[in-house]
Amino acid sequence: MADEEQQQEGMSQKELDGLNCLAYDEAIIAQQDRIQQEIATSIPLVSEQQDLAILKKEYAEDDTIYQQKIRDLQKKYSFIRKTRPDGNCFYRAFGFAYLESLLDDSKELHRFKAIAAKSKLDLVSQGFTEFTIEDFHNTFMDLIEVCDKQPSVTELLNSFNEQSVSDYLVVYLRLVTSGYLQREDEFFQYFIEGGRTVREFCQQEVEPMSKESDHIHIIALAQALSVCILVEYMDRGEGGTVNHHIFPEDGEPKVFLLYRPGHYDILYK
Amino acid sequence: MEGKYNLKSPAVKRLMKEAAELRDPTEHYHAQPLEDNLFEWHFSVRGPPDSDFDGGIYHGRIVLPPEYPMKPPSIILLTPNGRFEIGKKICLSISGHHPETWQPSWSIRTALIAIIGFMPTKGEGAIGSLDYTPEERKALAKKSQDFCCEMCGCSMRTALLELTPNSERQPVDPQAQQLAQQISFKAESSTSSSTSGSKETASVSQTGQQETSSTPEDSEGTAQAEQADSVSESASTPAAPTSRSLSPRQRRAQNRNQNQNQPQRRPTYPAFPAAAQQDGSHTGSAVLIVLLTLALAALVFRRIYLAQDYKFDYEL
Repeated sequence: MADEEQQQEGMSQKELDGLNCLAYDEAIIAQQDRIQQEIATSIPLVSEQQDLAILKKEYAEDDTIYQQKIRDLQKKYSFIRKTRPDGNCFYRAFGFAYLESLLDDSKELHRFKAIAAKSKLDLVSQGFTEFTIEDFHNTFMDLIEVCDKQPSVTELLNSFNEQSVSDYLVVYLRLVTSGYLQREDEFFQYFIEGGRTVREFCQQEVEPMSKESDHIHIIALAQALSVCILVEYMDRGEGGTVNHHIFPEDGEPKVFLLYRPGHYDILYK
Repeated sequence: MEGKYNLKSPAVKRLMKEAAELRDPTEHYHAQPLEDNLFEWHFSVRGPPDSDFDGGIYHGRIVLPPEYPMKPPSIILLTPNGRFEIGKKICLSISGHHPETWQPSWSIRTALIAIIGFMPTKGEGAIGSLDYTPEERKALAKKSQDFCCEMCGCSMRTALLELTPNSERQPVDPQAQQLAQQISFKAESSTSSSTSGSKETASVSQTGQQETSSTPEDSEGTAQAEQADSVSESASTPAAPTSRSLSPRQRRAQNRNQNQNQPQRRPTYPAFPAAAQQDGSHTGSAVLIVLLTLALAALVFRRIYLAQDYKFDYEL
């Protein structure tokens, strides 16, 4: 009798384990999918250029800190292009803003084309599997080729709003970032939290899609592609002005991004 | 096959490439798409030497999502092996259960190597995992050679290249181990991060937990609460606390359950994914609460019996 009962107990425990795990997984996945779908239908991957003043509507009128900072931002910039907040916004914002700047800068475009072509060789020589990364690289190179033909901004915007093209570009930029971090791991090791190696960090925080980006990612990507990035930081901090960082510090910025906690958008003068 | 698919689709392009890459069997693994479906593959892997799976060759299915490689493949084993349940999606972070850690630059080959590397690791209660004894696993390894897949017509005896003294162990092992280590590590961090993402489910199971742990001084009640808790942390710990606090007899009873009661347990599973899809976590949580309550009832039931001072004959 007792034995039977124990057996029953054992079973319910085992069952619970399994069900818990399954329930968590399924519920989390379902919920994330729902949230992502909701975001996807309401916000394009990369939006049209909009007047910077629209930011004011996103915060309460009596939210003096943000309203003041938006006014400060308006002294330097006039337009904003928003990106979908899906964890890939930094890469997508960077990719679009930079390629857009190449549309009327053929000298920079040719310099960049060479760097972009070489980037795959670097990755392969580091041990990345060629046949798995070449599709991503090809998409990246195709987009650069498109820029060479000087299409309208709308055409570039359409490519960036095509999920498969856009995501492949993000994957490739993540790979470039990861590759650079691992090549310079002696330096970057000191900036990684949680006792992880650079390689582990890359595999957990850089290469998987939807993982958000931090300073370390921005530094690595800016240096890997020799493109200078300026980021304006707008948060609830005191002071009434928006601070910016330039990566690398001595460069001349080609890409201007607005950071608000957890998200990057593109800024235009 | 070329005519049937849109070659512009990134998934088709990629899978064609992978099919070519994996066309010839190696000593350790082989995988090819089914003749009529590029999005379903069958694979065979050799059990790692120096393990209970030595000499075994295991067969299974890989199901690719249309978004591949942006979304991970699902892996399902078909040969009984004592490490992974058969016919069920495997819970590695590399497979469909933890899509957030899958990397698009991984491939089907990566998944196969991970499976091989993962076999000798402990199942520890993870979904789709089994912890059979070494003897059982060895027996299954021997038997696995006789397996013949009805679907792809593949016989395990001829599925892979013979191991030769020269080729032995080298191509896959260091890579497989490294990958498996990396993946089990990721399983932990990924689940803990996703827990914070779904507050709804988390809070529901917390209520369940409180109920359970309020059972007075019941060591098993606590163990169970711990378990409910640690499931969210990772699949790698939950088995440990229980097996320590159980008597050998209890453990035997549990083991027997593991081995014998699977068919009875299975019917409860299908209800879940379906529920989760229909109405997300609400239905899921409701079922979870009911189950926790049942477990609690079982515990109370047992305590009443123990309190009655009945003498039981423990000899079997």
